[in-house]
Amino acid sequence: MTQIPVLPFERSGHDRVIAGVCGGLAATLGVDATLVRLVFALLALAGGAGILLYFALWAYDNGRRRWQAALLVAAAAVALLLALGFSGSAVVGAGLIVAGFAVVLTRGGSIRRGGSLPVLAIVLMMAGAIAVLDNIGTSRSFVAPGAVAGALLLVLGPWFWQLRNERVQRIRLEERQEVAARVHDSVLQTLALIQRHADDAARVSAVARRQERELRRWLYGSGVGGAVTLADGLADAAADVEDLHGVRIELATAGDLPLEESLEPLVLAAREAMTNAAKFSNADEIFVYLEADGDHVAVFVRDRGVGFERSAVPADRRGLAESIEGRMRRSGGTAAVTSAPGAGTEVELTLPRAAP
Amino acid sequence: MIRVVLVDDHELFRAGVRGELGTAVEIAGEAGSVAEAVPLIKKLDPDVVLLDVHLPDGGGEGVIAAVAPERPAVKFLALSVSDAAEDVIGVIRAGARGYVTKTISSDELAAAVQRVADGDAVFSPRLAGFVLDAFREGARVGDDAELENLTAREREVLQLIARGYKYKEIAARLHLSIKTVEAHVSSVLRKLQLSSRAELTRWAHERRLI
Repeated sequence: MTQIPVLPFERSGHDRVIAGVCGGLAATLGVDATLVRLVFALLALAGGAGILLYFALWAYDNGRRRWQAALLVAAAAVALLLALGFSGSAVVGAGLIVAGFAVVLTRGGSIRRGGSLPVLAIVLMMAGAIAVLDNIGTSRSFVAPGAVAGALLLVLGPWFWQLRNERVQRIRLEERQEVAARVHDSVLQTLALIQRHADDAARVSAVARRQERELRRWLYGSGVGGAVTLADGLADAAADVEDLHGVRIELATAGDLPLEESLEPLVLAAREAMTNAAKFSNADEIFVYLEADGDHVAVFVRDRGVGFERSAVPADRRGLAESIEGRMRRSGGTAAVTSAPGAGTEVELTLPRAAP
Repeated sequence: MIRVVLVDDHELFRAGVRGELGTAVEIAGEAGSVAEAVPLIKKLDPDVVLLDVHLPDGGGEGVIAAVAPERPAVKFLALSVSDAAEDVIGVIRAGARGYVTKTISSDELAAAVQRVADGDAVFSPRLAGFVLDAFREGARVGDDAELENLTAREREVLQLIARGYKYKEIAARLHLSIKTVEAHVSSVLRKLQLSSRAELTRWAHERRLI
């Protein structure tokens, strides 16, 4: 059997009108004592439930006389329900539901989604629910329901207010944690990596540049997650190629566009062009320039490397023919390659811009 | 030897630049903020100031605005990791003769300092892209011609810079002399600095909205 924890409730020694119950409860809940007294007074109008509850708490007093307290709470609940106009069998039904919850508490089940419920508890609660639903009668007077409603409002009002404040604070805290997490995941990890590979200059510089890009996009660009603009997409591709091949890629842009599906082939073709430059040109720096204006988008990928002669490229090299030229053609664009041995290479990719 | 003042709030970065440029130029002084930089530059009267776009108490713009009227001979070269086009353009408009990114190699940085000292403009590919964006035809509305247009040739030169071409390569490609290419770049710089502020403010604002 699970131990039900002792609620830290103690009658107040100094803030007392009768026995210090309201004062003690106010101290435990962290609310104003007058508010608690008002709730009890209103509940007292509901068939004397408030009075019984008061005695129950007096008896409980830090878990000293639990059984008497439990009986008094049950009596208060019965008085409340009767005062609200529920018939005797409805009260029995409510009792069965409470008993069901008690079984859950003591048997260690859970009423949350996915938690296991003891069979006994399910039977008790279902029987209770049927009894309650069968017997909802009409109220005999308006005093008791009105009093209960008033009490609920007083109890729940401040609670909602507090909940709202907590939510605002939680959002602030989450933002701070998000920043901390980002700094940890990226910057600190990168610094650790740099320390460990301090002798490998190419690697350190690649890692540092990648970090710079990520951080910069997060600070000035479109935020975390996948690329949302064409320039971000190209920056991602450039960062990958830098990491894989240890080259430096300088990205310049004039204008930008949202990264729509129709622009994906352009990013992929540009990435392939960067990869080719990194792998075959022997240049240590590659320049990528994105130009997006009125009616077309163009990406230039250039290196000052060894260059090549088109006719000397073996036919089975699919990179240039398929991944760049074929891809651009299929998406309605063009790819032009300018290269000569010793004079570097430039790939120009263009795509007509769809009418908005 | 060219006398240089370094203005950057990162001690580590200043030490790095000092180490790299130490033999090519004379580092006359260093400052980490606008408040430190202004009196120092006025006192030392260097040939070139290497200026960070972002400083804790204002930007590189603040340094240029405070120094330039009294020391018109001092040249400024902006140096930054910042990607925000409007910040970079802001420093250029305040009077910097060029902009290079902090990832530039030390040889290229030394060459850029030399060029700025000689009175030329230094456009990195990224800056060329930013400027083309600022002068983009679609960016202007109606007959509002406050921002003087770039000529077709100037546009061509800027586009080649953005694509990673050096002045020498541009000259060869366009069958011009290097001097002519330099003249075009200086002309772009002048248009950028003289055009009225309203147009570029709108451009900067629109960029923020993208």
